[in-house]
Amino acid sequence: MTTLTRPRAGTGNGGVPARRAVMRWGWRLFRREWRQQLLVFCLLTVAVAATVWGASAVTNAQLADPNYPTLGTAAAGVTLPGTDPDLAADIATISGRYGPADVIENQDIATGTTQPVQLRSESPRGHYTAPLLGLVSGTYPAGPGQAALTSQVAALYDAHVGGTWRAAGTTWRVTGIAQDPSNLADEFALVAPGQVTHPSKVTVLLGSAAAQQALNSGGATLPGVPTGVLFGPNINAGGPSPAVAIILVEVLGLAFVGLVSVASFSVLAQRRLRALGMLSAIGATERGLRLVLIINGLAVGLAGALAGAALGLSAWFAYAPALQQSTGHVIDAANLPWWAFAIAVVLAVVTSVLASRRPAKTMAAVPVVTALSGRPAPPKAVHRSAVPGVVVFALGLAALAYSGGLAAVGGSGDGPGSGGGPRTLHTLLLLGGLVAAIIGIILLAPLAISVLAAGAGPRLPVAIRIALRDLVRYRARSGATLAATTFAVFLAMGICLVASIRFDNPLDWFGPNLSSSQLIFPTGASPAPGEMEQLSNAQLTRLSGQLNTLAVSLHAQFVPLESPAILYQSDTQTHSPQNFTGTVYIATPRLLAAYGIKASQIAPGTDILTMRPGLTGVPRLEMIWTPPTACNDDDPTCGDGSQPGAAGGPPCTLSNDCLASPVIQTVPGLPGGTSAPNTVITEYAVSKYHMRAQLMGWLIQAPAPLTATQLNAARQVALAYQVVVETGSSSPGLRDFADGATALGILIALGVLAMSVGLIRSETARDLRTLTATGASGTTRRTITAATAAALGLLGAIVGMAGAVVAVLAWGHSSLSDMFNDVLLTDVLILLIGLPLAAAAGGWLLAGREPKVIARQPLD
Amino acid sequence: MSMLELSQVSKVYGQGAAEVHALREVSLAVDPGVMVAVMGPSGSGKSTLLTIAGSLEEASSGQVLVAGQDLAAMSRNDKARLRRRSIGYVFQDFNLLPGLTAAENVALPLELDGIGARKAQQAGLRALTDLGLADRASNYPDQLSGGERQRVAIARAVVGDRQLLLADEPSGALDSANGDAVMRVIRTACKRGVAAVVVTHDAQLASWADRVVFIRDGRIIDQTVPAPGPESLLGQDR
Repeated sequence: MTTLTRPRAGTGNGGVPARRAVMRWGWRLFRREWRQQLLVFCLLTVAVAATVWGASAVTNAQLADPNYPTLGTAAAGVTLPGTDPDLAADIATISGRYGPADVIENQDIATGTTQPVQLRSESPRGHYTAPLLGLVSGTYPAGPGQAALTSQVAALYDAHVGGTWRAAGTTWRVTGIAQDPSNLADEFALVAPGQVTHPSKVTVLLGSAAAQQALNSGGATLPGVPTGVLFGPNINAGGPSPAVAIILVEVLGLAFVGLVSVASFSVLAQRRLRALGMLSAIGATERGLRLVLIINGLAVGLAGALAGAALGLSAWFAYAPALQQSTGHVIDAANLPWWAFAIAVVLAVVTSVLASRRPAKTMAAVPVVTALSGRPAPPKAVHRSAVPGVVVFALGLAALAYSGGLAAVGGSGDGPGSGGGPRTLHTLLLLGGLVAAIIGIILLAPLAISVLAAGAGPRLPVAIRIALRDLVRYRARSGATLAATTFAVFLAMGICLVASIRFDNPLDWFGPNLSSSQLIFPTGASPAPGEMEQLSNAQLTRLSGQLNTLAVSLHAQFVPLESPAILYQSDTQTHSPQNFTGTVYIATPRLLAAYGIKASQIAPGTDILTMRPGLTGVPRLEMIWTPPTACNDDDPTCGDGSQPGAAGGPPCTLSNDCLASPVIQTVPGLPGGTSAPNTVITEYAVSKYHMRAQLMGWLIQAPAPLTATQLNAARQVALAYQVVVETGSSSPGLRDFADGATALGILIALGVLAMSVGLIRSETARDLRTLTATGASGTTRRTITAATAAALGLLGAIVGMAGAVVAVLAWGHSSLSDMFNDVLLTDVLILLIGLPLAAAAGGWLLAGREPKVIARQPLD
Repeated sequence: MSMLELSQVSKVYGQGAAEVHALREVSLAVDPGVMVAVMGPSGSGKSTLLTIAGSLEEASSGQVLVAGQDLAAMSRNDKARLRRRSIGYVFQDFNLLPGLTAAENVALPLELDGIGARKAQQAGLRALTDLGLADRASNYPDQLSGGERQRVAIARAVVGDRQLLLADEPSGALDSANGDAVMRVIRTACKRGVAAVVVTHDAQLASWADRVVFIRDGRIIDQTVPAPGPESLLGQDR
């Protein structure tokens, strides 16, 4: 026999060698039983991958400085017209007084197409032009007769590096392909400084303190250079990184993963119960026993985090080119928010370790003999108090109720959340309330398991009875699964309801602007972003004619859109009118005919026709038709406090060109887009109140969605007049929001159920073997698993929906009828009935296999 | 001083109508170097006696002394340390930890007690060599036969300087040849000064013991010194 002179450990718990031994065993178990941990591994991998990808994308989606496209790294700039008679002298003055300066000369050149192309002289080695100039291939032009083209210009002229390109009366040798890294849509031909002979515009970039001082003094020009327009940064840079938002989303996601992980680790611990008992029998301390599972959690967390980081990075590198195309600026794929990655990885590992702590503690406390028997400790009748859940949920509701509702998150801008301080407070209340409501519902959900006990009466088939009673008995696992399922449904239903409320506001109409078969041409030209000029009457006549021709070619209705008045809701408490979003056009016969609305459908005396549900019930709605000529841009009171109904304004009377409570008729046939004529004034009202109409634009209503070619033809017409044609955007509608949220909720809930029902059933595997031994068929086993999944799905759907309804009621201050007005019944039914049915079907299909072994031990 | 001393030990499971008296005022002393066999029908309380002696369960009443230390006065961690240093346990179904080789399984109690992995495994290897399993030291439990697994379990129970060996049906899952081999190993340990308590149904295996204790309905009903050979015991097992 062996004897050993034992070095007594000082602590009595074995110290480092003991921990190392336990950790080694934990690691080996993790490697042996990795399949049982795939669920947690996959969830962590997805969470970290999504964070890494998302943080990379949002970080690179915006430029390091949003002012790069206009200023480069300069602090200020001056634009000088090419017509400036003293151009050279002015440039010299600016450079001398405010230098160092970079001079960029642009000359418009005719290309024979609508594409604007500029001949540009700019030094690639300027003080501030690094973000404005990049070389794709070849070299920069170094002297006369040399040019580097952007790839678009090279393609337009079929030019290539080493070849020639003729423009502006000169033949240029193409030395390279250049680009504006901050604006890839910028099409130009770069020539050496001083080679632009007839610049149409000159920009001088400045970075000196003197220039900045001139800018800060608020002057529009630099002293001594009256022809130059001084400009500076117009977009505030800085603020928290958008990756922070991604990290916050990850925290929420990991909270969900943590719930599933607790269930998963609990079952894993259950499987290892005998082994842990054995370990205890040979002298392992409770701390050592806990360490086995915590090491497992650490290993899973690390593996999932690293795999997720690798997956996320791979996805990012694959996606970066597409992002560059969509953002229109050069993306440096290696510009990565490493700090966000580190946080994501650490959070994932911490989640996994924390999730393993509770099962570890529970298992370590199991008496050795009980553990050695391999039987889980008989479920105790634990009385879990509902108080914490109720309190947290109530606090969440209170915070949501005071968060200001939809108005505070930008719904109308006139709500109680408007303004700096209150808005921040409301945002905090909203976030805090949401988190508290979620935590509350997660705490409360497991209590709902108790109702299953009442449902598992003797009249039920034995398989369903067993399933329901097992859920009640082993509520450590079933409670966590139910909480996760409830959370998924809560989110899905919450999004549906909030979307319903948002889309249901008849004043602040929300949704897609136009359908894909509609076009709207405005009567104002937009020569540059942010600038607006009214077309002349001659131009309007010509444009109208061309659009009519276009409409004929598209077999579309062509409808002039005229607006004589505006609508708003007066507020007797705050005296701040809530604007009616959208333009109110005249219901001309052509417009009504375009939507198949007959004059006979309009009730006599109707002032307004609308398709917006609920508009007829909006109180204190007023219509004013102040002639537009009485209100110009120089009038600071225009549309402000001097209009009828506004604070300090005259009362809303006909003598003030204001009609209180106009007669409104709902006509579902009108189009629903936010830019479409969804609310119109009848010709009767226009005539009765002597309104003066103003042409606002033209609507083209095609019989079918417009093709890319047809849209391009419309754009060509718009370009010719420098107007911006409005086409259907890809903004999601209510159905898109609701369907997307429902699908997401269902997928998450089914994922949770698919991955955890098996774990729940494994806890009662011994009973299943007994059932099999007593002759239960595969059908019985399938029924048990299906009933387990269905019960959890149904309970999760009910509790999650109820929680979402209460939370959204508190947040939106709306009635149940308002809230459910637009909620699609199919989405509710899918969540309430479809989820349990799908869960049951999945459980039925995936279960039923006869237990392979009668022996239960994971020991040898 | 006895290595194991039970005085008036009782164990009651459950409460009220579900109350079960597993042990009733059992007293037993086992000196160093002595092997005691415990026999009795199923449900008689044999295993409960062993788990209480091994500090895996607490007695409802009475006193249990292991190496002179009162178990009732010890914390869970103290008991765990006692199990690491003084008590070796052998189970019917081996209870080797998967994921650890035979040598690592044997060395585990030593490592848990703070001995370095290398030293502990050297000691484990020596214990396996003593039991003729040196060539199986690097095998995992599922690569060993039943007899080999039980010998590994015994090696784990006696490794270090354990003074008390508790075996619950150590040969229950083995054929007679392997059963005899296991008892021989335990006997050898006793010759070294280890006190052993072996629960068994098998009269032939009990004949390896210095003393046989008969237990029924939680009470010790008889104690005897077996004559050489198991036949003499058959009449006692009522």
